[in-house]
Amino acid sequence: MLDIKEYLKPNTVQSAYEMGQMPNSLYVSGGLMVAQLKISSVERLVDLKGVGLSHIEDHGNAFKIGANAKISDLISNPSLNINGDFIKIALKEIGSTQIRNMATLGGSIAFKLGWSDVITIFMVLNSNLEIYDGKFSEISLETYAKKSMKGAIITAVEVPKTEGIAVFEKFAKSNFDIATLNLGLKIVLDGQIVKDARVVVGSRPMVSQRIKEVEEFLIGKHIKSASKDACDLIEKVIQVGSDIRASTNYRKALSKSLLDKALRRVQL
Amino acid sequence: MRVKIKINDKDQFIETDPGEMLLETLRKLDYKGVKHACSTASCGACSVQLDGKPVLSCTTFTAAVDGHEVKTIEGFSDENSLSDVQKALIDEGGSQCGFCIPGLVVTTEALLSENPDPTQQEVIDYLKGNLCRCTGYESQTRAILKAAKERRSK
Amino acid sequence: MKTLTEEKLNVVNTSVEKVDGKALVRGKPVFTDDFDIPNTLTVKILRSPYAHAIIKSIDTSNAMIEGVVCILTYKDVPHVIYTRAGQGYPEPSPYDTFVLDKKVRYVGDGVAIIAAETESIAKRSMKLIKVEYEVLPSILDYEHAMDKDAPIIHDELEISGAYDPKRNIAAHYEMEIGNVEEELKQCDYVVDETYYTPNQSHAMMEPHGAISYFDPNGRLTIITSTQVPFHARRIIKRIFGVNSRVIKPRIGGGFGGKQALHVEPYVVAVTLKTGRPAKCIYSREETMTASNTRHAMRFRARAGAMKDGTLRALELWGLSNTGAYGEHALTVFMVGGSKTLPLYNKVKAVKFGGDVVYSNTEPAGAFRGYGAPQGMFPLDSVLDELAHKIGMDPIEFKLKNSIREGETSPIFKIMGEGREGVDQIINSCKIEECAINGSKEFRWYEKRKQPRIDRQRQIAHGYGVAFAMQGSSIPAIDMGSATIKMNDDGTFNLLVGATDLGTGSDTILAQIIAEVLNTTVEKIIVYSSDTDMTPFDKGAYASSTTYVSGNAAKKAAEKMKREILNAASEIMNKPIHTLELDKDGVISEDGATLSFSDLQTKLFYTFNQRQLEVTESFVSEVAPPPYLVSFVEVEIDLNSGKVKVIDFLNYIDCGVPINPVLARGQVEGASAQGIGMALFEDHVMDKSGRLITNDFFTYKIPARGDIGRIQVRFAKSYEPTGPFGAKSVSEIGLDTPGPAIANAIFDAIGIRIRRLPISSETLFFEIRKKGL
Repeated sequence: MLDIKEYLKPNTVQSAYEMGQMPNSLYVSGGLMVAQLKISSVERLVDLKGVGLSHIEDHGNAFKIGANAKISDLISNPSLNINGDFIKIALKEIGSTQIRNMATLGGSIAFKLGWSDVITIFMVLNSNLEIYDGKFSEISLETYAKKSMKGAIITAVEVPKTEGIAVFEKFAKSNFDIATLNLGLKIVLDGQIVKDARVVVGSRPMVSQRIKEVEEFLIGKHIKSASKDACDLIEKVIQVGSDIRASTNYRKALSKSLLDKALRRVQL
Repeated sequence: MRVKIKINDKDQFIETDPGEMLLETLRKLDYKGVKHACSTASCGACSVQLDGKPVLSCTTFTAAVDGHEVKTIEGFSDENSLSDVQKALIDEGGSQCGFCIPGLVVTTEALLSENPDPTQQEVIDYLKGNLCRCTGYESQTRAILKAAKERRSK
Repeated sequence: MKTLTEEKLNVVNTSVEKVDGKALVRGKPVFTDDFDIPNTLTVKILRSPYAHAIIKSIDTSNAMIEGVVCILTYKDVPHVIYTRAGQGYPEPSPYDTFVLDKKVRYVGDGVAIIAAETESIAKRSMKLIKVEYEVLPSILDYEHAMDKDAPIIHDELEISGAYDPKRNIAAHYEMEIGNVEEELKQCDYVVDETYYTPNQSHAMMEPHGAISYFDPNGRLTIITSTQVPFHARRIIKRIFGVNSRVIKPRIGGGFGGKQALHVEPYVVAVTLKTGRPAKCIYSREETMTASNTRHAMRFRARAGAMKDGTLRALELWGLSNTGAYGEHALTVFMVGGSKTLPLYNKVKAVKFGGDVVYSNTEPAGAFRGYGAPQGMFPLDSVLDELAHKIGMDPIEFKLKNSIREGETSPIFKIMGEGREGVDQIINSCKIEECAINGSKEFRWYEKRKQPRIDRQRQIAHGYGVAFAMQGSSIPAIDMGSATIKMNDDGTFNLLVGATDLGTGSDTILAQIIAEVLNTTVEKIIVYSSDTDMTPFDKGAYASSTTYVSGNAAKKAAEKMKREILNAASEIMNKPIHTLELDKDGVISEDGATLSFSDLQTKLFYTFNQRQLEVTESFVSEVAPPPYLVSFVEVEIDLNSGKVKVIDFLNYIDCGVPINPVLARGQVEGASAQGIGMALFEDHVMDKSGRLITNDFFTYKIPARGDIGRIQVRFAKSYEPTGPFGAKSVSEIGLDTPGPAIANAIFDAIGIRIRRLPISSETLFFEIRKKGL
């Protein structure tokens, strides 16, 4: 039990935002993260579920996914089949059945947790966030991950429909565990030549980050012949840290191993 | 605060604290089959079905369940009968100490309603959030595949 | 010698349904936390944030907020020294523990007991207690516990039974048969290496917990999740001077973790102080950080053999970390030798010994295997290394030198439970069958002909084998008893002190009774582990329930059978030798029958009136070991160092399995825990001595899908001293995964890992160093 005073259930984003501005308030969406908080200063929970925002809409050139959509809703939605059914296949790697039934897309991003698989998965898709902080605005997930936006509400995630194939790789000690390191790769091929590439690594243990050096290295090259060098490169350039799960050097080595696996998979 | 939750097909009006978890509420109401084992969403022992889907009651706010439907282990069999999943768990030795079993049964029931003919790998994947320290999982997998087969033949 | 096939069995050796099975799968309220007693106080423990400190002052005045009923500190509880270890009396563990002490010895040690009307009040109150500590230098690395300038952890005057507390040595042991040094000089090949086994958390799904209350007649009653209700009652009496009744409900797993008193003294202190029921259920974090862990050990192993594969000398010299308190310190350490070394009884010289040291870490205690996994990892590893050096197949090498039926080992007599053991000739040992049949089924020789490394996929496969033995009970010390009462409805009550903690012991004891009495398990109503209602039993540990409590149950059933036949002879007016038990009743040569129900009804109301009830006790003179050969196939990802167990085949000689499904489950579960110890479960402390891996989020026990296939095969075996030929089965499965997996990794890539758990990171950098 959390020792809190109020559990509020606003119906609109605007009222939720106002409640969120009161001191010691915290937004709650799926609840998974908040329930485990050991912070005793929180007095008020603002439940965002009442504001809706759980629809998955096809906008032609992009999908707009409401921030309150559950991970399991995304997995079971057949229309989200893009980039080699990437979203469904990748999201199945997350947590457990129960966790995917509870965790929402917005909640999985908002805490900017280093080990979030969701951030890596959607960053590799070049996603944008719709944010409300008194007014609606858009920001790329990549920028959001680096920026402090306290009090703002993520209302939706926009996933552009792009060509290419994407894969997600995760290294964890156990089948039911957070990633020691995760990696997303999206490749657009013209024959065997890499037209575009996007590489994102998470659980470094810091929050997910694009590895632009590797992206740039791959673009314009023959995928087969460039793979080995790309793997060597990522180990050199990636910025990672150490924690109880792995040392810095091991994470570097894992980035190479995961990129190798990912490059093999996109060529299948 | 007051919430209305349908528990095992029965509407209940419950007075709850704003920070209370569904696990605590259910146990207070004598649904003792819902087990408290980890508090960190890491073991599955507290699993219940929320609107038909398995969730972890240790990290679900009771306030958030207002107006929804919850099914606990107590809702899956009565005094006179066992479900085929429960029976198979006994027969195959899938229940040793039994502490993880309510959560496992509740989650397995959801699996079988979504996927009546799961492969061994699908059983493992669906239930990977349900830890067991006694069995090494082998007997539970055997039991669930057996129960699924029996259920399909009915 | 009798064999299984010669004995006609109806109930034993069949997989009857677990007697508590239905209640458990329905989620019935059968565990400690499920009992709600009106007016119960919630008890929480304030714990030390320091690894080693003196409490200079403790101020509870601000913490006595509304709803708090009492806060107890070391000044308020009896200053009686004891051991938390639940062992036979007098315990071989040192008396070095108080309910609360002025000194704290690890992060998590108890500082104050808070009892409040609700949990949230207790938690709020806890934050308001002001404690001033004088922080002392601490020992977090047990390998430095005996350093010259090391702080003394147990400087209390009252300590007794510790070997040399001034040097932080809780226990010391050494023995030698022959002269290892001399024999090693004669050997063609010698391996001399050091091996480490880790702390391991029991991680039973049900956290520790207990409730205490006065019953309407004023008898102190304790409901507790324990493996040792009778020892708990005895120790509570020692501490508080009060008599009590201890009830063990269903237990959500123990694995040795509940063979100690954790929560009971806290709730009893509150009930005695307030007169009110008190309940304390540990959080997962408390269960992980403030109960018990497996003793971490270091062993230097030396083994020498001749060219022809004759093993000549063996030595295990060790250091064990008992943490802040010495429960099970000596005995767990000794089992590292006494239940491993006799397996190789043909050596000319064998030596075992070392120290068990205190450190400022979570106290170690009993954990399934009880030292044998810690001893078997170095022993089996060193033999595997030696076999490779000689150029011999490890199965052939181990088999050539291992014990056989009709043989003995002098170690059985020399090493017992913290003292001398008992002589025994091995009556049942099918290790040869286990190794040979197992290697056929596993396709050991074919598999090892295949190439190990797949360059294309950057993976390697390896095959490993490990041998193990354990014991069945602690002979000449531990006693179990059983009472059988006949009812007029044709059922029998079986009252046993034996402690079913999920293992199924209630069921197999009922099977034994049903077999003797020619009835079915449904007719045996089992009540177990209530110290006021059931006869004494040592409790559930040392692989003893099937063997000791099972023999007691069988003896009691045989006596009941004689009583029944006597009574029937009188009632039926037929000579006793013409009578036999037959399906739920008595039958005479001429076909006349008398049902159990009719018999007891007559005895109740109309004929020579009496209640048929018998009690028998059993203490064993021997502890026949079960044997196990395990085969493992691992897959190693050369790019990450990750090891995956693909196949784990156990071929076991546990005598006659009383209930094959339950016996199989014991082996499967122990294998999984052993694989956890080998590959997954890591205790990580921060610099202050706080355990970081303190929940299931950070401490990874194997999850579903983490382990490939675990299989169990039973060798045909019959132990003449066991009930219906049975030996123990519950612990041995934990002994083999560590060495088998390390051996398999060596087989795959030629890298020898001598420290568990084997982390993918360590292995990866070894692989890279080797240029694989």
